[in-house]
Amino acid sequence: MVFTSFNFLIFFPIVAIVYYLTPKKYRWLSLLIASYFFYINIKPVFALLTIGISLSTYIFTKLIDNTEDENKKKNYMVVNIILILLPLFFFKYFNEINSSIFTLLESFNLRWPLPEIKMILPIGISYYTFMAIGYTIDVYNEEIEAENNFGIVALFISFFPLILSGPIERANSMLPQFRESKSPNYKMISSGLKLMLWGYFMKLVVADRVGIYVDAVFENYEFHNGTTLMIATLLYPFQVYADLGGYSLIAIGVSKILGLNVRENFRRPFFATSMSEFWRRWHMSLITWLTDYLYTPITFAVRKYKIWGIVIALMITFIISGIWHGASLAFVTWGVIQGLFLSTEALTNKKKIAFEKKHNLNRKIGYIFINIIITYVLFATSEVFGRGTDMSVALTVFYKIFTTSGEIFIGTSSTVIYMFVGILLLFLKDFTDEYYPNNFLLFENKNKIVRILSYSAIIIIILLIGVLDGGQFIYFQF
Amino acid sequence: MNKEIIIDKLRTIFINVLEHEDFEINDELSAGDVSGWDSLSHMLIIGEVEEMFSIKFKFKELNKMKNLGDMITLIGNKLNL
Repeated sequence: MVFTSFNFLIFFPIVAIVYYLTPKKYRWLSLLIASYFFYINIKPVFALLTIGISLSTYIFTKLIDNTEDENKKKNYMVVNIILILLPLFFFKYFNEINSSIFTLLESFNLRWPLPEIKMILPIGISYYTFMAIGYTIDVYNEEIEAENNFGIVALFISFFPLILSGPIERANSMLPQFRESKSPNYKMISSGLKLMLWGYFMKLVVADRVGIYVDAVFENYEFHNGTTLMIATLLYPFQVYADLGGYSLIAIGVSKILGLNVRENFRRPFFATSMSEFWRRWHMSLITWLTDYLYTPITFAVRKYKIWGIVIALMITFIISGIWHGASLAFVTWGVIQGLFLSTEALTNKKKIAFEKKHNLNRKIGYIFINIIITYVLFATSEVFGRGTDMSVALTVFYKIFTTSGEIFIGTSSTVIYMFVGILLLFLKDFTDEYYPNNFLLFENKNKIVRILSYSAIIIIILLIGVLDGGQFIYFQF
Repeated sequence: MNKEIIIDKLRTIFINVLEHEDFEINDELSAGDVSGWDSLSHMLIIGEVEEMFSIKFKFKELNKMKNLGDMITLIGNKLNL
């Protein structure tokens, strides 16, 4: 069951009603049951994984809390992290590593004795693995006490709005909310519904429409000219943003209706004026996770190298982030590119600030505009390696962009028109939120009629031009 | 070394790393209040503090350091004040 399925539209209202009818003391239990029902519905065997990770995390965090011996604490943390990472490595990398060794040996005319095992990646595995690791490290760092109720830990790891694609939450924010449930609250329910509505718009109208065009181009890249490939490259970030960003809004909205506050995941990323700012606005729950549990410990370990230590930490963090997306050369290249962007900015940051101050550029619209465009193009370029294609495909795309040109591929004209309507609406919404947060309000307008008209308009647009035949979320596979 | 000397030395480090003086030193000052004190400059500041006072922090101690007051206390403890 995914958020865009018809089943979810029946499942969720029932869950919300049962949840609020349950006595406060046992609300966590009704959420836990709903979460397992949700996950088992996708594939029953996956639930064994979440149960295993919950048990292991519960036991080891208690052990960490119950001993005074620093070495033991550290060992318990390390053992739990390894245990819960094992399934992720196995499911994510076994086939990829197996098949690359297979191809390598075959090129030397040797046979690899292990057959390829057909395996489906348990949906959401990276997300709950990351959340469990974060919780374990927080308990070790004494940021939070180990939870006594196993059910609450199990709920944290399997909470259905977040289990498939995040946002990657933290124990110190979620555990207290699970323990103390709020009463139904008109404000939270209505703001949750608005977030869900906009999330569905982003996903069904923008992401899936753009996806039709972008896929049609990239999947037949041999037949398209450089101009078309360039257009698809520039459109792809919108698809990813609307896909994961829209999904996240639905997740945040669903949680809000249940009285639970979940962190935001995207903050109008395409208005960033530098790559470092971009990464503070894009997939924020993953980036802050990587910052806290990877980047900061690495910078601490290499702090004697000063600014070069930071460069090392940035490179390692983004290369690992690339490998997390998939064990392929293209994803590693993606990580290296991000690391290089951010390192360059870290090394030139002071000069840039001085230059901007000297020429008083910070408030000049032209300067901001150029920086926004450069940042967008840099990101769009890097994403050619982050699409999950082979390295050779990515390189061919670039080669063709620089060497061939011609007429732009249109395909079905309605697809292109719908796509631009979607992108334009999303852009206008983000633009006004970014620069005129108190004007042009629609969902939040004081006038009831304006509000009702805007909800209705978005619902009609979703029904008219949304892709309703169940497109897949790109980020489930991670 | 008393608290005033520690504060003076810290002020020098902050100005050196951040290249501005737009902050007021007090116990409640935290990274979020100071422009430019982000995940890049944080570890640079930590490295400079360690060098200046010839001390070494533990990673766990860093996590617990929530504001300048915590930092001054921690430095004081390390210097056996």
